[in-house]
Parts: sequence; C-alpha cells; structure tokens
Amino acid sequence: MTKTLSIPRPCTRIWLLMMVLTFITWAVAQLGLSGQWLILGVLAIALVKGQLVVDHFMGLRRVRGFWRPLLTGYLLLLGAALAGAFFL
Amino acid sequence: MNSTATVYDTQPKSPPGDLAIWVFILAELLVFAVLFVVYAMARRNNIELFNLHQLQLDRAAGLANTLVLITSSYFVVRAVAAIREGETQRCSRWLWAAFSLGALFLLIKGAEYQHHFSMGVTLRSNDFYLFYLSLTFFHFMHVIMGMVILAAVALKAQRGGYSVSEHTGVETGASYWHMVDLVWLILFPLVYVMH
Repeated sequence: MTKTLSIPRPCTRIWLLMMVLTFITWAVAQLGLSGQWLILGVLAIALVKGQLVVDHFMGLRRVRGFWRPLLTGYLLLLGAALAGAFFL
Repeated sequence: MNSTATVYDTQPKSPPGDLAIWVFILAELLVFAVLFVVYAMARRNNIELFNLHQLQLDRAAGLANTLVLITSSYFVVRAVAAIREGETQRCSRWLWAAFSLGALFLLIKGAEYQHHFSMGVTLRSNDFYLFYLSLTFFHFMHVIMGMVILAAVALKAQRGGYSVSEHTGVETGASYWHMVDLVWLILFPLVYVMH
C-alpha cells in the first residue's frame, strides 16, 4: 500500500511532461528563432500535448470505438491545415 | 477468454460524462478549428504585419496562462479520480482548486487586455489584432462558462450529491474543462509563437 502511494499517479507524470513541453515552446520563442522549423516544431509539440489531453485527461485512451480516433483525427487534420496555411 | 479480450470487455463504449456534452464539445472544437485556420489563412495575406504585432504580445503571460490551464485540467483529473474512490469532499476541493486557476487565467488575460487597450489597440487597429482579440476573447468566454460548470459541480459534490456509482455530472464538467484546455494548447503557439 505504502509502495503504491509513493509512486506518482500516471496523470501526475503526464501533467509534468506537459509543463516541460510548454516551457520548451516558450524557450524556443524566447531564443528568437523563427521560420519553418520553429513553426513545425512548435506545432508538433502542441499536437502532442493535445493528444495527451485526449488520452489521459479526457480519458479516451480507455474508451472503445471511434471517440479517440475522432479526436486524434481532429488534431492531425487541424495540424495539417495549419501547416498548409503557413507553408503552401 | 484471453487477457486481451478481457481488457477490451472492460473498456467503456462511451466517453466519460453525459453523451450530450460530447456532441457539444465536438461542435465547439469544430468552430475553433475553423477560426484557427481562418487566422492562418489571413496571416498569409500580410505576414509581416502579423509577425510584427505578434512580437508585441506578452509571451510570458501566454506561457503563464498555458501552465495555469494545464494545471487546472490536472486538478480536474484528480477530482474525477477522487469521486471514483468515493471521496466527495476531496473531489470538491480539487474542483475548487481548478476553479481558482480558471480565475487566475482570467486575471492574467484581463491584465493583457488592459495593457492592449491602454495602448489604444482595438478590433479595428489591424487584421492581427482583430483575430487576436476575437480568438482569445471567444476562448475567454469559454473559460468563464467552464468555471460556472466547475462551480456548480463542486457545490453539488460538497453537498454529497455524487457517489462512486453516480458521478456523471463530475465527468461531464471535467470533459468540458479539458476541451477548454485543449483549445488553448493550440491557440497559444498559433497566436503567440508561430511566425
């Protein structure tokens, strides 16, 4: 029992990971970087964080059927549309 | 029956909370997606103007608000976990903590708006500010709506209105709040960082 309590919950690890990813986004911007790689990198980080929310906060990872693919598809389509608008 | 089949059988068919909120969430996500793409398309017409004014935004405030919303979403996850363990008062406390961070988000965003308005920025200043103010204010209203839901759920939890077997309301409120967080996770890099 004590051993179980000493291990951080999975959601706590996800929360910390998202905080770190957010800092990376901000730090990259603060370095004055710009252009294609900044846009792609920052967009990819945003999509990863979005998927973490879908899977672990909304809890769709454990839900059967189309719900998780629907939200993942939403993120991928939105990411593709934004990347297209920035580069094409 | 093998273990894979057993795990599959225990997975719920529906997402957490009331199904109606998920229809609403999908509609909201669609609206925000359209707005984000319209922003990106409008930027193509005047990249220099968008880049110039984007650099004038307070990125530290954007960072702070992102951390605040992620943390509030995490608190809501803990509230759901608490009610699933039958801890109604703990659930209520996590929800109030999430509500407080929602209020902090509004304060930080409000300070940003105050700064912009004091500098004479309006919706008509230019296309960048038209989109920046519209997008962020639309999201701002969703935060307020989410806070109203969190408060209602927290009050009911405080009065013992949920239990291990019946806590759909907590999951419904939580799902909406996560949507508000999810939208901001795209909005922040798009409007504050990507150039």
